[in-house]
Amino acid sequence: MNEERKDLPTSVVSSRIERRIEFTPEITDLPRSYGDTKIVLLPRDPWWCFAYWEIGEKTMQEIRSIYGENLKFILRMYDVTNVDNFNGHNANKYFDIVVNVSANNWYINLPETNRSWCVDLGIITPDGKFVMIVRSNIVIMPRFGVSALTDEQWAVLQREFERLLELSGVQMIGKGSFDIAKLMRERWEELMAISQMPQFISSGFVSSFARREQQEVVPKEFFLKADTELIVYGQTLPDAKLFINGDEFKLTPDGRFSLRLSLPDGEKVIPIKAVSSDGTVKREIIFVVTRSSEQK
Amino acid sequence: MVQGYWCLVLHNHLPYVRHPEYEDFLEEDWFYEAMTETYIPLISIMEGFLNDNVDFRITMSLTPPLCNMMADKLLQDRYYNRLSKLIELAEKEVWRLRGQEPFYSTAKVYENKFKQCMQLYEKYNRNLLSAYRNLLNTGKVEIITCNATHGFLPLMSSDRVRRAQVRMAVKDYETKFGRKPRGIWLAECAYYYGVDKILKECGIQFFFVEAHGILYGEPRPRYGVFAPIYTPETGVAVFARDMETAHQVWSADVGYPGDPDYREFYRDVGYDLEYEYIRPYLHSDGVRRNVGIKYYRVTGRVGLDKKEPYVPQWAINKAATHAGNFMFNREHQIRYLRNIFDREPIVVSMYDAELFGHWWFEGPDFLNFLFRKIHFDQNIFKPILPTEYLEKYPKNQILQPSASSWGDKGYYEVWLNGSNDWIYKHLHKCEELMCESVDSYHTNVLNGDTLKKRVLNQLARELFLAQSSDWAFIMTTGTMVEYAHRRTKEHVSNFLKLYHQLKDNRIDVQFLEWLEYKNNIFPEMDYTIFI
Repeated sequence: MNEERKDLPTSVVSSRIERRIEFTPEITDLPRSYGDTKIVLLPRDPWWCFAYWEIGEKTMQEIRSIYGENLKFILRMYDVTNVDNFNGHNANKYFDIVVNVSANNWYINLPETNRSWCVDLGIITPDGKFVMIVRSNIVIMPRFGVSALTDEQWAVLQREFERLLELSGVQMIGKGSFDIAKLMRERWEELMAISQMPQFISSGFVSSFARREQQEVVPKEFFLKADTELIVYGQTLPDAKLFINGDEFKLTPDGRFSLRLSLPDGEKVIPIKAVSSDGTVKREIIFVVTRSSEQK
Repeated sequence: MVQGYWCLVLHNHLPYVRHPEYEDFLEEDWFYEAMTETYIPLISIMEGFLNDNVDFRITMSLTPPLCNMMADKLLQDRYYNRLSKLIELAEKEVWRLRGQEPFYSTAKVYENKFKQCMQLYEKYNRNLLSAYRNLLNTGKVEIITCNATHGFLPLMSSDRVRRAQVRMAVKDYETKFGRKPRGIWLAECAYYYGVDKILKECGIQFFFVEAHGILYGEPRPRYGVFAPIYTPETGVAVFARDMETAHQVWSADVGYPGDPDYREFYRDVGYDLEYEYIRPYLHSDGVRRNVGIKYYRVTGRVGLDKKEPYVPQWAINKAATHAGNFMFNREHQIRYLRNIFDREPIVVSMYDAELFGHWWFEGPDFLNFLFRKIHFDQNIFKPILPTEYLEKYPKNQILQPSASSWGDKGYYEVWLNGSNDWIYKHLHKCEELMCESVDSYHTNVLNGDTLKKRVLNQLARELFLAQSSDWAFIMTTGTMVEYAHRRTKEHVSNFLKLYHQLKDNRIDVQFLEWLEYKNNIFPEMDYTIFI
């Protein structure tokens, strides 16, 4: 479908510019590198990041002159969720990936969703020390999954919420896209597969969604609906930082907090941590709540 | 009694493809085909509603590249010629097929359609923007913008550059429609944290996201996708896509467009007719391609050679049936939602406009039947515009939407994978150099250096054109890839060349003129959007 076009004269009379422009533009190949030393981190989806990098010649020479020719390059991925002013030492945690530096880019699979990340490109010295060459931007990952947080003003029962998610099509998220190009290509591939036209490579792939019957569940006469939710509340110094489940939570001007959480069956651990404004004092309280329901 | 609302959003977009340096250019067909098959027919049905007092509401995003193509004299004239040729071919076909039913009826359908297109096109002096301005003024059609060149905001290097994309869109919209846009379609519905702040600064009140943009938002959405939310601190309204209606139209096996009575897209006279006869209607290279007249129907899962002839009356009847079915399902859905909610729900259906007419030939007829039925045959729900719903329900939940897109798998992979990840290094570099150039030379411009001003403006155009998400998208889909590579390379290398000339203070005026002539998008370009 992508036939070559016959080259045509490259000058025509423009409707905007009165005279003929005689100019043959050339599209040059793009530079392989820009001589920078940098690394950029991009989010792809909740589970994957993409990093690309470049090390300038001069920087590379300096590194080699200090650490020798046999260098082991790594990407150090820092979890910097809720970390203010990340400085290389205050990350929540990190992990390393050994890379071939000339690869220039890498797809990084993340161990956890809904976190923020920063990456250093650096080397590991023979004695095991990490030397950073360049640091990336910070990336907040796209969220995956339904939030555990409900807000009091707009609260809804767990079961109703589940129904609402279903009505909203939560089961179809990420199952496929609705775009014309893809639809057209798939139809074309399908047609080619069954049209007995051997000049085309056949591929009979047809996208499809699981069909779901939408059935109303209307309660009949007498019924019982019940659910539980969990309210976590407390107080600390107004200028302290408060973290619930690792996420920072905004305190009221007098230092109070109140949070409503969903409480499905099972065990739920809720760590609540307060850090003083100068970061020197920490207090933590951990709730372990178990819910089990039975119907009689 | 009205129990809820339905909001139809049609996203009208094509990348800026305009090649004055060639007399005839294959990829310009995207624009010409969409004009005949989608844009003009949609305007025509909306004008029909107005004439017949059918109360309707449609939200249309018209992207800046599309508006710029519609306003471009060269493309206007080329389209006129293309449409004239198509009418000539249709007339020949009517003569050739006289007495041969059902082919003759189908040929008549094309002849009438093309002639109606021409009539409408001439009525607006070849500029469809005049038609859209009229529609906007009726208050029944909302026209929203889209970030500059449909750039993929989440993968840009800085908010400064994202802001420039949005500012450009607002500026362009103002010149085309005489007022500021109320809403925006983020290219590919791609939302990333912080974009709402830029929208707020630009005076934009609402945008759209994929379902999980709200479903995965924080805290939990009280009404799922059936009510808008406001972004925290910035207070921009966000509407999310309803999956049920998306599915009904799109799904390969249960979607309407795949019905056996509908027209088969891939069986085209460009391939079927005798070569000498069809030759004048092909491109100058003489290669057989689709020309836009097709006589067969989908038939079923059979090969192209086994397709049955198209019967216009069957197809029209089917479009009416499907419109009835769609309406029935909305009544059912909205009535049910109203029962479980303490307010009237809004169901938002978002589609690429080009689906209607280009791919699904009967799509415009379907919409025509649908709005008429909604108006005359039921009172469970009403069509609505986003701003109207917000007036009715100004109090909405505050929720941080999740970063997302409407592409395959719901995030950014379509625009960031092994086939296209190489482009970001170059795009980011150009973004950086753009900001740097503006910072360095703005004072010169203020002191009257008009040549540097032109260079900065053209740098911005080349950057924006390189940023079009269409190129990365095409690289992923695998058709016309070569063209996408070429365009990315072209704009990046133009940018770099011009940047170096600016920096070394040896601007090649001839080169600059060439670029201004060739890549002429945004005549009102003002590089200060980068400040």
